[in-house]
Amino acid sequence: MTYSVRIGGTTFPNPVLAASGTWGFGLSFRRVSDRLGGIVTKGITLEPRDGNPPPRIHEFPGGIINSVGLENPGLEAFRRQVLPAMDKLKCRVIVNVAGFTPGEYATVVGRLRSRRVDAFELNVSCPNVRTGGGAFGQSPRMVETITKAARSRTNKTLIVKLTANFVDPVDTARAAVNGGADAVTLINTLHGLALGQDGRPFLGGRSGGISGPALRPFALFCVDRVAAKVDVPIIGSGGIMSGQDALDFMNAGACLVQVGTASLVDPDAALRVWLELKQTVPGSRASAWEDIVGRTRRFD
Amino acid sequence: MKSATSCLAEIESHRQLADGIYSLWVKAPRIARSVRPGNFLNVRVADGPDPVLRRPISVCDVKGWSVRLVYRVVGRGTRMLSRFQVGSEIDLLGPLGKPAPRPPEREVVICGGGIGIAPLLYLVRDLVGRRRLTVFLGAKNRSELILRREFGSLGLRPRLATDDGSTGHKGPVTEPVLAAAAAARHAAVVACGPRPMLAELVRSLDPVPVWGFVEERLGCGSGICYCCALPKKSGGYIRFCQEGPVVRLNGVLL
Repeated sequence: MTYSVRIGGTTFPNPVLAASGTWGFGLSFRRVSDRLGGIVTKGITLEPRDGNPPPRIHEFPGGIINSVGLENPGLEAFRRQVLPAMDKLKCRVIVNVAGFTPGEYATVVGRLRSRRVDAFELNVSCPNVRTGGGAFGQSPRMVETITKAARSRTNKTLIVKLTANFVDPVDTARAAVNGGADAVTLINTLHGLALGQDGRPFLGGRSGGISGPALRPFALFCVDRVAAKVDVPIIGSGGIMSGQDALDFMNAGACLVQVGTASLVDPDAALRVWLELKQTVPGSRASAWEDIVGRTRRFD
Repeated sequence: MKSATSCLAEIESHRQLADGIYSLWVKAPRIARSVRPGNFLNVRVADGPDPVLRRPISVCDVKGWSVRLVYRVVGRGTRMLSRFQVGSEIDLLGPLGKPAPRPPEREVVICGGGIGIAPLLYLVRDLVGRRRLTVFLGAKNRSELILRREFGSLGLRPRLATDDGSTGHKGPVTEPVLAAAAAARHAAVVACGPRPMLAELVRSLDPVPVWGFVEERLGCGSGICYCCALPKKSGGYIRFCQEGPVVRLNGVLL
């Protein structure tokens, strides 16, 4: 029996990935990274970005709101300094890419030809920058344009990370498929606002993105909905803390899952999710996931 | 740096030192062996997702296989922590952060304000005999002037200040520090306390190097979430869970 999952040209040894922005570049906890299906890097932009002023994180019962604002070293420093260090990682590497014009996405993707990069995840849904990012993700037309632009510059596996902020992800998932995406990630953080007692926005970036368990039921709903309507592999993400949570997303139609906020609480969380998920698989099929992915719809 | 792992540690003692201030000793051999002054632990206060995040607390002292945390209850998370019973287990992640550098200066002025006194004890233990130390401790009142006995047992006689004048100098601890530091232009200052106290030290003592523990909202504490940004004077940010929590304050915006 195999636990592996194939998306585009990439075979992931197991379906659990570390989500972008919650795992750095996978180098801090290699003992975890090396046993995951893969890791998704912090979002890389064409130019370096300092990110938003602090505070960048707010906590509420069941979740957090972050406004990091895509702090990253930029394409060239990533290519020259970070990527070579990632050579020693034994897992699949997905580079998350963000941009402010379709051309920026295409440039970043086009210049990362290294064999160390297995796949790209286009971040059309970061809520923490004023232009681009999240706003792109709300327009099916822009999602298609950006995906096409990136597709024209790479043969690597292409994933589009979608938002559910003010848009039906069914429409943007179709757009991503039309643009040539191999898979979609559902969902990125949702918009959130935290206020101080005097009414002043608490976060330095004013508003932020909600993540954590509070997001899970809605994320699960989105995966189920898109899986029913669009023929595209789905990577499920949103508040996954346990193997059972991961199984829920696979039942709803995801073939891979991402663990994000849980890693901030415990660096071993993604690995624990994978080990717990593995326990739930019956083991009687050639592929472990054959009877699992999309099982929920059989009850309709 | 070896990457941090979480562990369960047994609580050996847990008592109130002053109103809202608690002292917690845990048996944690792996942490006790490797922790350095300046390091902190990220403490899980709930089993479930409320609160989701851990609470970062600087290490106050180490003895044998045991580690001491002294903290103030400032919100729900630390209130939950204060209810942990002796004999129960607590989930700790660490040691985290970069060990505090030993200032190259021969003479070091130590300044602790309020709960900021706590992490200075372990740091001072490391500096005793290596540097000439003058210790200043300040708090709201006499009862919150914690750990005096522990500093005393290191052979130091801390100079004290309280806001209400119940012990030592009446007024902020920065006043006696500035008076003393004016005479010691070749000293370095290591401080921990409220931000206005740190800012006052940097401003008034310039160009004397002031090293300090900085507090900011933390996400992971282990360098992967980029949430604990501290603005540099030269632009951009440092992640203080990686480059701190003890940083040279002259180079950052407080």
